[in-house]
Amino acid sequence: MLKQCLLRPQTVAFVMNQTPIRSSCHLARLGSTRRSLWRTFSSTNNNDDVNNDNKPRLSVAVVGAGPAGFYASKYLTSSVLKRITQSTSSGDDDDDTHSTPFGFSGIDIDLIERLPTPYGLVRYGVAPDHPEVKNVENDFAALFNKQGESQNSSINFYGNVDVGKQIPLSKLQSLYDVVILAYGCQAADKRLNIPGEDTLEGVLSAREFVAWYNGHPEFQHIGPIVERCLWKKKSNTTNDDDITETSISPARVVVIGQGNVALDVARVLAKGKPGLIDTDTPTSVLNVLKGGVSHVSVVGRRGHVQGAFTIKELRELTKLDKEGHNVSFVVRKEELEMGMTDASMEELKGPGGRPKSRIDKLLQDNAVEEDAQSTDAEKSVEIRFLLNPTQLAPHESNLSKVGHVLCERTRLEGDPGKQRPVGTGEMEELPADLVLVSIGYRGMPLEGMEELDFFDSSSSTVVNEHGKLPGENNLFVTGWIKRGPTGIIGTNIMDAKDTVKSVMNYLETSVPVAGVESQGRDGLNDHLGAHDVKVVDWNQFLRIVSAEIDTTRLRSEAQPREKILAVSEMLNAAQR
Amino acid sequence: MLPRGVISAARAAQIGCKRSGFKLSSVFANTCVSSQTLGNNKQIRWHGDGPGPDAPTVQLTFVNPDDSETKISARVGETLLQSAHRTGVEMEGACEGVCACSTCHVILEQDMYDDLLDKMEDEALSEDEEDMLDMAFGLEQTSRLGCQITVTEGMDGAVISLPKATRNFYVDGHKPTPH
Ligand SMILES: Cc1cc2nc3c(=O)[nH]c(=O)nc-3n(C[C@H](O)[C@H](O)[C@H](O)COP(=O)(O)OP(=O)(O)OC[C@H]3O[C@@H](n4cnc5c(N)ncnc54)[C@H](O)[C@@H]3O)c2cc1C
Ligand code: FES
Repeated sequence: MLKQCLLRPQTVAFVMNQTPIRSSCHLARLGSTRRSLWRTFSSTNNNDDVNNDNKPRLSVAVVGAGPAGFYASKYLTSSVLKRITQSTSSGDDDDDTHSTPFGFSGIDIDLIERLPTPYGLVRYGVAPDHPEVKNVENDFAALFNKQGESQNSSINFYGNVDVGKQIPLSKLQSLYDVVILAYGCQAADKRLNIPGEDTLEGVLSAREFVAWYNGHPEFQHIGPIVERCLWKKKSNTTNDDDITETSISPARVVVIGQGNVALDVARVLAKGKPGLIDTDTPTSVLNVLKGGVSHVSVVGRRGHVQGAFTIKELRELTKLDKEGHNVSFVVRKEELEMGMTDASMEELKGPGGRPKSRIDKLLQDNAVEEDAQSTDAEKSVEIRFLLNPTQLAPHESNLSKVGHVLCERTRLEGDPGKQRPVGTGEMEELPADLVLVSIGYRGMPLEGMEELDFFDSSSSTVVNEHGKLPGENNLFVTGWIKRGPTGIIGTNIMDAKDTVKSVMNYLETSVPVAGVESQGRDGLNDHLGAHDVKVVDWNQFLRIVSAEIDTTRLRSEAQPREKILAVSEMLNAAQR
Repeated sequence: MLPRGVISAARAAQIGCKRSGFKLSSVFANTCVSSQTLGNNKQIRWHGDGPGPDAPTVQLTFVNPDDSETKISARVGETLLQSAHRTGVEMEGACEGVCACSTCHVILEQDMYDDLLDKMEDEALSEDEEDMLDMAFGLEQTSRLGCQITVTEGMDGAVISLPKATRNFYVDGHKPTPH
């Protein structure tokens, strides 16, 4: 049966039609194709499998354990298992496609993650006051908890393993039948490219700020910077002793950009310790935020109809006061009016206009005339439209620190859906003790990937067609690094299904271009062992979780967990 | 059917969630951690298992994204999300049924949509559900969230569609059609 599969006409055609081979690496892999298909079970696999013919199990490496990596693992496992069932129940099945043989008897996935902990931005991006969004961690964990339900599938977690640094991508390609890149866009930021961006203290990206308040082990150095910006001594008015843990910071924060991340950041700053006490925000972070910040402005260069935020996050801001957070929400009537060009009206009516119209209504209902605030709230979050930051200017009394954001008033020009902000020459200066740039995360190539032509630096994503990388290779991609840093957790479901379809297609129509070594998991273990990598497996991760929920660490019964903030401490907990 | 006066755990949690702010939310997160800690096969979910096997059932047909159909017996009193999970219909429920993710998006027949709307307070969807639908992929006139619909006896024979994945969705992002 296997031979048949190998020599199927379409298989041969595929091999002959291949595009010119581009690297010696590909050559090596092509040469080994047949051997790898005949590979026997690796020792980690269950030998008394129900499928006791000699077919190999599909070995898959997934790089990155965020939503994209988990959804791809989940759907690839179910697709392969379904396909195996169909191929074994041939004969009495009328449907032709169901009875064609399949080259594999099972699937083994290794989920490789550079941090000791899985879940990507669900753990280190999603705001701590959105615990219900983090519920998806349960769904992901179920993949491991359900281990053993089918002997035909397995999944292992390799935490604390950085692909590129600790194992080259090319090595993974040669060990596994299929490699899926799902490493996200957390390594860099889009840039404003304006003066002051790189030189002044107190200018941070929202990515760094978010990672800090979520306890990401690599961003804890951000805390002291934030602290200096929020609590700098105001010469003679305040002295340190007057600052208590619920003091409201007199600082002004300007958030540049108007996506959901910008709104998250503004809300967290405004809520401060009282509003976040029952969440998993680290205690060290709450001690910096204290009573919250008195004035946060969220600035965008386009109008409210073009904002990238969604209504749920916006509505949350409008309700902060009502929910007792002592924070008013301010949006200026005249800025809404300025943004209501004929083209904006068209955008509200056009396809995709429903969410925009509902946002428009919400903002109109909350809009105030300039300076006509009607609440007693001590803190405010203001959303400002049609202001383009052109320069970050230093503070008068400390030239190394940021003090102002210079903005140019814009107006919208262009057709519906294509309106651009155009400068009007009118300037406005926003005072700022801290500036958070929130104009987008940016994908980066994995170490060693640059020379492979797989990375499109203009879009900062991995080049692909429906998740398959171009050329003769066993590489696939999914999630943010495939489509760019947009969309909600659910968007990664459709995305993973798209990639999994391409993987299945590849398995059906081509000779898998698996590696020279093709030992899958055993080969990975050997490599990591030889390089002394301290791998965190799933059970060890669960020990980290146990340590984080140990009651002696918690502020109160309501606090879900106190995250461990250093990798070394995580590794200690994992060994316990 | 659930005894009179008893609402499903999921519903109760939803209501609680809305009314009591973070207190309950953090309970969710706690549960989430403990189910991992146990590391056992049986997931402990805060919304429990819904009505038991003795509950009356109705027949529902799910139309999958690939147009194949799955016929299931849904228990009266459970949510469509629970019915789908119990019977293996491929519907995600990332936030576990608390109206915070839109992954349980379903498209109803007009009649069923109207009937459900008629029975709601103000004959309108909740603001929370509308807000989440705004983020749903492939929005239609009769879109709802599966976790917000409780199965009733009147639903027997209903056909429920799961949104279709068009292969180029990630190129143009999510563009819901007007409501
Ligand atoms: C601040 C913020 C808040 C958000 N809030 C919400 C929300 O409330 N609701 C919602 O639905 N969506 C939210 N999102 C969107 C959601 O988080 C993303 O859609 C999703 O996380 C993308 O998944 P991903 O797996 O592609 O990337 P990621 O989640 O970034 O996962 C990638 C993983 O790969 C790992 N990795 C990176 N490099 C390597 C390497 N070299 N080797 C091995 N592993 C590597 C990373 O450590 C990470 O764990 C938010 C996003 C952000 C930034
Ligand atoms: S399961 Fe999350 S909205 Fe229904």
